[in-house]
Amino acid sequence: MTDAPLIAFDRVSVVFDGEVRALDDVSLTIAKGEISGLVGESGSGKTTLCRVLVGLTPATSGSVAIDGRSVSDHLAIDALAFRRKVQMLLQDAVASLSPRMTIRRSLGEPILIHRLASAESWKRLDGILKRLGLPEDLLGKYPHQISGGQARRVGVARALVMQPELIVADEPTAGLDVSVQGELLNLLLDLQREFGLTYLLVSHNLNLIRRVTSRTLVMYLGQIVEDAETRQLFRRPAHPYSAALLSTNPAVDPRHRRSRIVLQGEIPSVVAPPSGCRFHTRCPLAAERCRTEPPDLVEIEPGRRARCHFPFSLAAAGAAA
Amino acid sequence: MTEPLVSIRNLKLDAATSRGTAHILRGVDLDIGRGRIVGVVGESGSGKSSLASCLLGLLAANVRVLDGSIKFDGVDLLSLGEGQMQAIRGTRVAMIFQDPMTALNPLFTIGTHLIDVIRRRSPKVARRDALARAEEMLRTVGIADAALRLKAYPHQLSGGMRQRVMIAMALLAGPELLLADEPTTALDATVEAQIVSLLQALRRNISGSIAFISHHLGLIAELCDDLCVMYGGMVVETGPVADVLGKPMHPYTSALLACEIGDDREGRLVSIPGEVPDPISETQACMFAPRCAHAIERCRGEVPRMRTAADGRKVACHRFEELA
Repeated sequence: MTDAPLIAFDRVSVVFDGEVRALDDVSLTIAKGEISGLVGESGSGKTTLCRVLVGLTPATSGSVAIDGRSVSDHLAIDALAFRRKVQMLLQDAVASLSPRMTIRRSLGEPILIHRLASAESWKRLDGILKRLGLPEDLLGKYPHQISGGQARRVGVARALVMQPELIVADEPTAGLDVSVQGELLNLLLDLQREFGLTYLLVSHNLNLIRRVTSRTLVMYLGQIVEDAETRQLFRRPAHPYSAALLSTNPAVDPRHRRSRIVLQGEIPSVVAPPSGCRFHTRCPLAAERCRTEPPDLVEIEPGRRARCHFPFSLAAAGAAA
Repeated sequence: MTEPLVSIRNLKLDAATSRGTAHILRGVDLDIGRGRIVGVVGESGSGKSSLASCLLGLLAANVRVLDGSIKFDGVDLLSLGEGQMQAIRGTRVAMIFQDPMTALNPLFTIGTHLIDVIRRRSPKVARRDALARAEEMLRTVGIADAALRLKAYPHQLSGGMRQRVMIAMALLAGPELLLADEPTTALDATVEAQIVSLLQALRRNISGSIAFISHHLGLIAELCDDLCVMYGGMVVETGPVADVLGKPMHPYTSALLACEIGDDREGRLVSIPGEVPDPISETQACMFAPRCAHAIERCRGEVPRMRTAADGRKVACHRFEELA
């Protein structure tokens, strides 16, 4: 890890309307060519983190750098070049296509906006469409005439034609039938290997995160609570919230079932987050210290950070149960 | 063997759409045993939610029943008039909907919702007694400060809490058949875990049968007794859940299981080539044949019937014996 990271968040916070702390003191780095996963429940700040990364939401404080240059500088110097470099796959693929445009026009629009060489770009696009297994006659159709899986792949094609370096994918398999999600993931992995792309994948699907990513960030109430190698995280989660979240994943095979850690209550509001450790209201092992003293995100073993006064304690308790 | 509670035979549903007639159900055969939890799994467009609507007698205006029968405790639901169906709905058959946000009336308190259900079963019960029962039921489904929550309006409760209220309403109805249509899909993972644990714990309180509709095989494997696999408006395989998942007989069930992302990080992820069938297409063959690795000429020309395979298992595949 001697190379400078592709992405560096340094103490980034995003506050909406002066009181909603959607992101709170987020620091992270992502290396070039790495596939990182982002997990957490609704309201944990996953989508805000993605939006800050692609320059759609400005950070209220802290700095976000891509390739050593801040996102705001990127946007000021050459916004179009930055947007080509960083592409986002939106969660709702069907809604991301204009209902009034044919697929051909939707795919052609970025080529026009970015003033790319038309013939060459369309040739590249044809190649991508073939690889995605999209039929030729799809180009003349409107979004309502194609399936959700096809819309998803059109979104991927539209992102790839820009030859990005970083792809931020917000729930890339949401709404996809299980029978077709594998195909899409294989393609994303192939492209990553071929072009050395960097991915940040947001997903609720823990099996997908475990299978595809090399590193996972776990978020809770706007903060990163754990940042670990995916394999290590699934083997032995350090933060009690990670342990509980991973234990919710039901397995088809009875031999792989974990004893489920059921948390009490629901996620508190980010407008009035709990004092001390934000997770203490639901943490089965919260001690007095957790109620008053907020833990920092610190390195607890090489390559792993956690925001907990007592890391690894719940994992051990869960295993004993 | 006792009679199953529900016995669906050759159920066919059509819907008029702007693209033409959609075949929502193409001849469904399914039994739901008494006291059993049946998991209904299938991809989008497989007809699983329409099947639930049919059991409740709540079909969209553009949908009509073409053929078949739904025997519920010996009575064909399809032969009943609206009045008779209404007497069954909400008392003998109840439903937990997918989205707890929209399933409760925003103008009424939680208490009113629950009392409505109690009064439907026993109209003469005093309000005070009904409230006491409602409060006790809220405690059963794990709602803290139950007395306080009775006075709350739906918008004052979180999603997980509202889904608990829905479950409380279903339990108060004491139905013989409870339909749960993806009851945890709209919830966050840790809240989903709470609801699943609750359903597992409440199994004893539910004397009737449950049809649990989900696209999540893992959830069904943990919660259900029996499994019903649907594809393209048909039931392709049924049987005890551990047997079907342990040794699937229909090629679609096998393929679906193979698509589950496992622990191994090696090799490519599995998918089923092709797309789910278009509901507009006619039924003249096995619906899975275009995507099936084992399809032969017969599969493309003749609709396979549900046939008994072994030990309470049924499979709709021409070739399941030779593929076993």
